[in-house]
Amino acid sequence: MYPLRFLSIPMLVVAAMAGPVYWALPVGLSLARSLGIVVGWAGCGLLLASLLLMLRESRLAQGLGGLERMYRWHHWVGMAAYVLLLAHPLFLALDAWPDNRLLAWQTLSPFGQGWPVWLGWLSLLLLMAGLAVTFEKRIPYRTWRWLHVGLGLAVLFGLLHLVLLGIDEPVWPILGLAAFFLGWRIVREDFGLAARPYTVQAVRPVAEGMVEISLKPLADAFKVKPGQFALVAFFAGPTFRGCGEFHPFTVSAVGADGEIRFGVKALGDCTRKIQSIEPGVMARVHGAFGDFLAERPAVPQLWVAGGIGITPFLSLLRAGPVNQQTVLLYLYRAEADAAFLPELQALAENDPKLSLQAVASGQTVPDLNTLLPDAPSLAHHECYLCGPPGMVAGLRKALKDRGIAPRHIHFENFEFR
Amino acid sequence: MRRLYLSTTLLFWLLVAAFWAGSLYLPPADESLATAAEKTYTKVDLARHATEENCWMAIRGSVYDLSAYLPEHPSRPELVLPWCGKEATEAYNTKTKGRPHSPYADELLNKYRIGKLAPDKP
Repeated sequence: MYPLRFLSIPMLVVAAMAGPVYWALPVGLSLARSLGIVVGWAGCGLLLASLLLMLRESRLAQGLGGLERMYRWHHWVGMAAYVLLLAHPLFLALDAWPDNRLLAWQTLSPFGQGWPVWLGWLSLLLLMAGLAVTFEKRIPYRTWRWLHVGLGLAVLFGLLHLVLLGIDEPVWPILGLAAFFLGWRIVREDFGLAARPYTVQAVRPVAEGMVEISLKPLADAFKVKPGQFALVAFFAGPTFRGCGEFHPFTVSAVGADGEIRFGVKALGDCTRKIQSIEPGVMARVHGAFGDFLAERPAVPQLWVAGGIGITPFLSLLRAGPVNQQTVLLYLYRAEADAAFLPELQALAENDPKLSLQAVASGQTVPDLNTLLPDAPSLAHHECYLCGPPGMVAGLRKALKDRGIAPRHIHFENFEFR
Repeated sequence: MRRLYLSTTLLFWLLVAAFWAGSLYLPPADESLATAAEKTYTKVDLARHATEENCWMAIRGSVYDLSAYLPEHPSRPELVLPWCGKEATEAYNTKTKGRPHSPYADELLNKYRIGKLAPDKP
């Protein structure tokens, strides 16, 4: 990753935090009160940065090092903001504690206070509840997503708490930006205004619980390269009723006339429903995102795919023969799960630089050390990994143990919650 | 990250409970000190302290020297400064859409009390 792209999110986060803190930097106040003020403003800046990092715009994602990276930072920045904002009222109360313990409690207590403090408390409690929900993965995605929006409301209430305290000079622009980011996300992305209309042209089952869907554009097609992914929502067809939610799917083929294909595996309620999709279903596609296989240097390569993780490699192979010596290690549970295997075997037979190693690993976690080439034969290789997070983590460790530097290990896994 | 959330949230509520318990079992030491040797100031005395660096206000019959507190006041200075050197009860009672300041503010104000305001001569 280019240094500027690598540093873009850290720089953005520091700026969002430092700006308000610099403006409000207390002079001549006690340590506890100063800390209370500083952590409050720092948390406020971090929440704003966290809102920006949840936007799904392909150009923004490109500048910030990818959507997946933005999401990781979105989680950590949001969490850091929460911890700082918890400390904010505690420090303010601590300021009064040595002289007057009643005053310390009254600083903190929501009882007997007015709207400025109530809104502060409401914001903090919404953050608390919203984060509790965020960590609860058993909630269905649709419900989870709307509960997660509660965190956006917490930001707005927190800023109104400042306005009611009479601190409106820097808060109105921050409030405006926060409302803009939230509105942008909901209107352009959740309601699909940024997405383009497509229709399902063909569907074919490629493995157990997995279909490949071919989409034809109804307007201008979006630009997409093999290895990228897009956010796709499926709606209604002759008899099919889609869930209408945007989910990330990797492109499995880029055809002529803007036709694109996606591999969809039944991993949740919505993707299970999609298994029975039919031609004629309306879809909206937003993208494209990702640069997983975009900047490959001219050196031998090791590709490792786990299950549905085969799709980015497949789309690249379908686009033409590889130009470097490439080993593709394809792991799947059983023969019935081996999507696209005959096609991959045919591609490997016709491509002298591509060698395919297909392995049915069974229900248990495969022994990666026996499957991967040994350290000498991996020297000077670039490694590309795509599959379930557990498998990718195991592969990264096994490759590091073989002396491969992290900068030569590229991976992609989808964790959008 | 889940562990961080759980531990910080738990710690937060424990500290909130500690502040509450502290206020219950250890009330402020001796409040009678504040009323001892009380000085009386007239409105003329008050008007001599009408700058940001030297700001007295009369609120609900008491006189407060708020010079040290002004930098800490959360609202914009132009909202508060015009009341330096004046009887400011009305302003104190009608902040934020006409509502009075909170009991917390009342408690805070006590720290800056320097005496009482002499009643207007008939």
